[in-house]
Amino acid sequence: MRRFYIFLSMMFVLAMLLPKSANAIPAFARKYGFTCTMCHTAYPKLNDFGQRFRDNGYQIPGQEGLEKNVFEIAPPLSLRTTAGFSIYNTQQGTTSGFNIYGLDLLAGGVLHKNISFLLIYTPRIDEPSADYTGPNNGNNPSQLASIESANIVFSNIIQNVFNIRIGRFEPAYQAFSSHRSFYIMEPYEVYTFTTPSNSFVFADNQIGVEMSGHFRSGFKYAAGIINGTGGNPDNSTYKDVYINLFQTFGKGDGQSAGQRIGVFGYYGWQPTVLPGTVVAPTGETNGTGNKPYYRVGGDVSLNWSTLNLEMLYMFGSDDKAFNTLDPNKDYMYSGGFAELDWATLVNNRLIASVLYNFVLPPSYDDTRTINAYSALVRYYLGNWTAFNVALHGEYTYRETGKINPLKENLFTALVDFAF
Amino acid sequence: MKTITLVFLLLVTLSIICPHVYASGNAGESITYVSVQSLGPQRIGNLPPVPVPASNPQSSLKILLGKQLYFDTRLSKNNTISCSTCHSPLMGWSDAGPTSIGIHGQKGPRRAPPVSNAAYNHLQFWDGRAASLEEQAEGPIQNPVEMGNTLDNAVKTLNSIPGYVEEFKEVFGTTPITIKQVVDAIAAFERTVVTTDSPFDRYIKGDRDAMTPLEKQGMAIFNGKGHCTACHWGGYFSDGRFHDLGTAQTGPLKIDVGRYAVTGNPKDVRAFKTPTVRDVALRPPYMHDGSEKTLEEVVDFYNRGGGDDSNLDPLIVPLGLTAEEKKALIAFMSRALTSLNPEVNNVEPIPVSELPK
Repeated sequence: MRRFYIFLSMMFVLAMLLPKSANAIPAFARKYGFTCTMCHTAYPKLNDFGQRFRDNGYQIPGQEGLEKNVFEIAPPLSLRTTAGFSIYNTQQGTTSGFNIYGLDLLAGGVLHKNISFLLIYTPRIDEPSADYTGPNNGNNPSQLASIESANIVFSNIIQNVFNIRIGRFEPAYQAFSSHRSFYIMEPYEVYTFTTPSNSFVFADNQIGVEMSGHFRSGFKYAAGIINGTGGNPDNSTYKDVYINLFQTFGKGDGQSAGQRIGVFGYYGWQPTVLPGTVVAPTGETNGTGNKPYYRVGGDVSLNWSTLNLEMLYMFGSDDKAFNTLDPNKDYMYSGGFAELDWATLVNNRLIASVLYNFVLPPSYDDTRTINAYSALVRYYLGNWTAFNVALHGEYTYRETGKINPLKENLFTALVDFAF
Repeated sequence: MKTITLVFLLLVTLSIICPHVYASGNAGESITYVSVQSLGPQRIGNLPPVPVPASNPQSSLKILLGKQLYFDTRLSKNNTISCSTCHSPLMGWSDAGPTSIGIHGQKGPRRAPPVSNAAYNHLQFWDGRAASLEEQAEGPIQNPVEMGNTLDNAVKTLNSIPGYVEEFKEVFGTTPITIKQVVDAIAAFERTVVTTDSPFDRYIKGDRDAMTPLEKQGMAIFNGKGHCTACHWGGYFSDGRFHDLGTAQTGPLKIDVGRYAVTGNPKDVRAFKTPTVRDVALRPPYMHDGSEKTLEEVVDFYNRGGGDDSNLDPLIVPLGLTAEEKKALIAFMSRALTSLNPEVNNVEPIPVSELPK
């Protein structure tokens, strides 16, 4: 029986480690007839050209109004899925198995000059199946059904210095996108770290509105107003706000060329008293006793040849009202990561990367201190326009806690298919 | 939820099928007609049939007449410069450069654009100031730095040559010779200077051995990491649009505002028309002022992210190409895109003795 519970708990942890959905949109490549490396260093990570394309509302800069819209081309639909084999090991034992790690259904394109949209739907994936009667009755899906992104972009309202994105989207305060990272498993610990009784998750796509701009001087900004609850109903009377500022030095946007530094700040509120009543259609009724929390940080992206070093540091603070561990103090933590990506072989067919993550919670919560070391290799089978396939191997060693830490090893080998 | 997923998957399948419904071509490639008004697939492919305006239909006699005029120096003020002086078939239908030398040894401000495949241009000249080959042909005759003549004087000269009068009458049915007839004939000839047969063209048509593995690698880079097809696409390998690359201004002009001189649009400052890459190896040096001497220099220029310019086109970003990738890209451009059309490559200048008298 003890072994059964160990197995159960490991399955649960493995489910927690399963990947966020990741974006790559071959429908755009098919529209233009380009190969993936036009917009991606190697998919899903965007290069400078791809970043400019995204910032310009999925229009090639300078071609606004000339491009075919979604009604004039084949349905702009894509899917991406990852399937493979994982071995997960802790001091308690080892588990392994074949899994489908995620499936994204994507659609996006230009509706009209400077008006475009993006939709990403992730269907529920029950593993092994929905009617599974084993642990937790199959209620640990490896992916939840979600409208991960559904947004419309109004670009070039004032040239490219004022653009608006409305809906659910990946907010720009995530200086390095976890959705477009080479790492399939949740790459950035500080993005997913949650504090006591505050449900805000930095990595989540959010619902709201974001304004952004890109200046010829290399300066970029983004500012937004959002619920701050991911895809969940908002029960706060206040909305969350954020801003991030980037400056690029040299040519490029800091994705694949040029050197970029940035700062970001997020300020949010959450109620501390929830009535718990559900009211359609907007969700729960507003709670009371709203208390603030904030996240601030800086990031650097350095490029040399086909090497890209990304570093991010973040400090977070929650009002003491959220701190169930020590209600007399604000809950303060910090964290960050450093990732070195190397693209090699002709047309960046091979990617190698190492990643270090850390999260430092307050001393009274040091059982959640995280140090994680990851490495990956990805090999792309071709230079096709309609689709691509990557063979992916990824390893992470993670220690959680300071005293008697939980030591986890996760190795994953999978096929990453994007059509 | 399952229904939604099934519908979505069905649509995904449709999206695979539909492009093949409207895009024809061999070996999985489509033929793309270059048009700035119909951007969509920006694929490279074979050249479509030459567009011929209804106002100037082709005929074999008109083409022959145009060829004679093309090589005839009597269109210039002092009988020293012909179209072929700066657009020589022996130099990829351009010249040795870096910029052209016109009448009295005057140096032109820009590189001579190639006449080969110029019929596919929507706008002629580096700044697009002419809307057709016919309109373009009027330009050099009356340009004081090129042929230094006037249109009236050129026509007067031709009307004084009985052989031409006879030929024009046979082609156009009227006399005296007019400038419209002159430029129509020259344009008709230029529409025959088309290079449709290169190793790349053969590869696209299904001959998988027409290109070497290195050239195929270069083609993949051309359409991917090299970002070349962002501008150099279609059968003509040009989007027909205007871009500021931050090119070093090394020509006789200290400042060349490019397309801006035509449109007055600040976005067009120092922007020049995308040239074709077909037969590019035949006509160094490169860029509008010949500032890059070799294809290697051109690739290095783009790999650096173009030049320094406040109006730099946002399409221009550093590429991160390795030495191996550059080698492959150059192999594709220099051999695979060089035409094997003997009827075009071996056009001999018409000797003066064989021109109408």
